[in-house]
Amino acid sequence: MASNMKAVKTRIKSVQSTMQITKAMELVASSKLRKAKERADISRPYFRELYSTLRDIADANTDFTSIYAKASDNEKFCYVVIAGDRGLAGGYNSNLFKAVEAECKGKDYVVVPIGKKAVEYFKRRKVEILSEAFAEIADISISDCFEIASLLCKSYRQGEFGHIELFYTEFVSMLSQAPRCFSLLPLQDMERDEAENTAAVRNLILYEPSAPEVYEAIVPEYLAGLIYGGVCDSVASELAARRTAMEAATDNAEEMIEKLNLFYNRARQASITQEITEIVGGAEGL
Amino acid sequence: MKTFPLVIGTPDGILYEGEAERVVVRSMTGDLAILAGHSNYCTAIGMGGAHVVLPDGTRKDAACIGGMISMINGNCRVLATTWEWKEDIDQERAEKAKENARLALEKGGLSDKEYKIVQAKLQRALVRIGVSK
Repeated sequence: MASNMKAVKTRIKSVQSTMQITKAMELVASSKLRKAKERADISRPYFRELYSTLRDIADANTDFTSIYAKASDNEKFCYVVIAGDRGLAGGYNSNLFKAVEAECKGKDYVVVPIGKKAVEYFKRRKVEILSEAFAEIADISISDCFEIASLLCKSYRQGEFGHIELFYTEFVSMLSQAPRCFSLLPLQDMERDEAENTAAVRNLILYEPSAPEVYEAIVPEYLAGLIYGGVCDSVASELAARRTAMEAATDNAEEMIEKLNLFYNRARQASITQEITEIVGGAEGL
Repeated sequence: MKTFPLVIGTPDGILYEGEAERVVVRSMTGDLAILAGHSNYCTAIGMGGAHVVLPDGTRKDAACIGGMISMINGNCRVLATTWEWKEDIDQERAEKAKENARLALEKGGLSDKEYKIVQAKLQRALVRIGVSK
């Protein structure tokens, strides 16, 4: 009995130290989350406006002289995948990768992974990686996004791939985050989302000095803006996911400790009772 | 005068949302003004001073760098990389940035990429200083 009690005691200690860690991680995540959420909230309106403006333009576009606008016959895809740097965030990373897998099935593709987990994942699966320079999502700033965008534009113009899609995790609320995917380029791809609207009257848009030149200047900005928006949202999602996961872990640890304590006390009581019985029995025998 | 709905957004948030009488920005090819009732229009923004005339006739100056301006069905959207109202510009910082860039250019020995970055920094500083004066 005594050895059993010792084992329970060590088990309680180990669960307690795990709980301390998860508790600390929860606190760190929630303090970081506040900042990340602010950043995401600030950038979201821009992200929305940018996307809807470009979609309006894509809808209205009748001019396919620009390589960015016309539908591409190159069937190769480029995925920009924004995941986290670290694990222990519940299903955050794996949900995103599942979404990627579902989308990329049977397609020829390259990836631009953002976040260490994404880099590891695609390396393990031996997927062609366009650039590994943006592995740390925590350090990504708007100027990095411009770099990514210009890299994508360069490769796109050279015809290395014909479609660009962005995968990120949308920050729906503190408790729910959903992986999302949308097409960035060519602009023709964007219309696909709402086929029912194509019947609407096409507006003619005046481009100055000319459509290709305008696209040439706008598209890198547009990509950078959307990637930045995706990064902000993903960072907030990651922290929220981690906070929720760690909260659950802490709760579980507490429950476990409670159970173990109960068990320990029972064992202790049993051993005391046994000792008393032994003493009484021994006294009687005298 | 007639007004139109205007949204000015940057990655750091939406800076203006509401009616405006006129908006002037420096596009790729030169300054342009948008008034109410403009036809559908889209162009890229260069670097330079910009201003908005509010419905009550006050004029707000700003430094605007990069991005795009579009007028679609009467709604004007300015989506800039940076848009700083005149009163928000840190002139001291801009002067410092200008000085640093100038020194770096004088010192020379920069790679192509570095040279481009320094040039861009200098340009931005000059735009800011120009607007804030």
